[in-house]
Amino acid sequence: MFQRFSPCMRLVSILAVTFIISSIILGCGGGKEKLILGATTSVQDAGLLDEIVRAFEMHSDYDLIPVVGGSGQILEMARRGEFDVIMTHSPADEEQFIVDGEGLDPRQVMENYFVLVGPKDDPAGVVGVVSLAEALKRIASAEQTFISRGDNSGTHERELSIWQSLLIDPKGQNWYRESATGQGQNLLIANDDAAYTLVDTSTFVTFGSRVQLMPLVTDRVKPNAYTVIRINREKHQHVNVVGAIAFVEFITSAAGQCLIAEFGRSEYGKSLFVPVLGCPQAVGHLGLTSRR
Amino acid sequence: MELIWEGVTEALHLIFSGDAYVYEVTLTSLTVSGSATAIALVIGLGIASLLAFRPPPGRTLALSAFNAGMALPPVAVGLIVAVLLWRTGPLGQLHLLYTPAAIVVAQAVIATPVVTALSTAALQSLPSRLRLQIMALGASRLQATWLLFREARLSLLAAAMAGFGAAISEVGATIMVGGNIKGSTRTLTSAIVLEGQQGDFETAMAFSIILLALIFVVILTFTIVQQRRPQS
Repeated sequence: MFQRFSPCMRLVSILAVTFIISSIILGCGGGKEKLILGATTSVQDAGLLDEIVRAFEMHSDYDLIPVVGGSGQILEMARRGEFDVIMTHSPADEEQFIVDGEGLDPRQVMENYFVLVGPKDDPAGVVGVVSLAEALKRIASAEQTFISRGDNSGTHERELSIWQSLLIDPKGQNWYRESATGQGQNLLIANDDAAYTLVDTSTFVTFGSRVQLMPLVTDRVKPNAYTVIRINREKHQHVNVVGAIAFVEFITSAAGQCLIAEFGRSEYGKSLFVPVLGCPQAVGHLGLTSRR
Repeated sequence: MELIWEGVTEALHLIFSGDAYVYEVTLTSLTVSGSATAIALVIGLGIASLLAFRPPPGRTLALSAFNAGMALPPVAVGLIVAVLLWRTGPLGQLHLLYTPAAIVVAQAVIATPVVTALSTAALQSLPSRLRLQIMALGASRLQATWLLFREARLSLLAAAMAGFGAAISEVGATIMVGGNIKGSTRTLTSAIVLEGQQGDFETAMAFSIILLALIFVVILTFTIVQQRRPQS
């Protein structure tokens, strides 16, 4: 009976069936309550975000939706009431966010370190200096190429705060370039140009074998801290307060902290992020899967 | 160059080892872009037959708009659709943002002008007296339109292929409205972006090859249908 239809008609019916099947598929999974998490690219690029989503959904009854961007973008969208809870790493902006009454209950959950990486021959001679500030100062006076994130991300904010403390304005200098890309992409661009750049240790480990740049100066004084903040419902009526509290409780619990501690061990032989609140050994293994 | 071969090997490995993640992502791409194309076809063919057969006043202006729409920047579409669907936005009540349905909407917006513009051109290139003749033989408007669609099917199927191509290869709007969520809104294109960001270029290359293969298979199917002689 199918033969009676013209080829066009057949194609139309195939499309119609595709559409019906897909609407059924799309229609599913709408049952659970949604919780929207704004997170920074570095957490996604390392692969940790997928793991957090998977673990939290197993642990709770929410449909956790991660939305990814630089810390600047995430905080701005949070100010517009688009998120229930956020996880960022831009301390000064976060403080302002809390002061403005947009966010509540900030908790540091994990950290890594910023590291200045650069070419092996180190033309600016930064190896052995004690601080990032001193290293950037040498790069500026030697006029060696430095690639900046240039995207208001946490890493970018950190870099800018150092330039500011040095009273140097690198913008527009011929040795200073802004990539306006995520953490990993930025590192690859610096690698291509054999330039200096600032990166967090997690991303640097993840990209390890692909990058010839060497870690030169690690800032252990001021870690790169990731903070979770709940969005204030008094400012934004859509906020899912109960869900946000559940997420903060999970990520600060032993289970959440151990998930962070374990992440990356099987693949890279070491943790990519340090859980700030600590993971008691007893809760150690959670049966982490690989990146996917 | 080496990376391309590694990508090919990895792609074959992923396809034949039955990697669940790859199948899930591929299925999402296919259903989402298939639905977007279906919607674009329904709307596009409707508008095209109106513009070609019963030209409303201002047809040239409308047609120019659709022709320009073929170059609609996906990033702009993504931003506009996302802002409309934000929960604080005008359509926030629909709760569509970060769902596959939101991607369908964005891709349909991108594919519809392509289908409309190409279909209108196809229908306009039919001999103008053909429709009069069919009507004179006693066909209803609907029957006449159907017959004319059949007459122009080569070009109409080409329009459908172009629409599908625009939808499935799109990534900017897909990530903006879908969010690239594993297990729900991660498509082949957004998976390529993510793997690239994670520095896993072999897997990114493998996904690219799978995407190219998928597009080829779908377009091949369309082309076989297109090239078949009508059984009348």
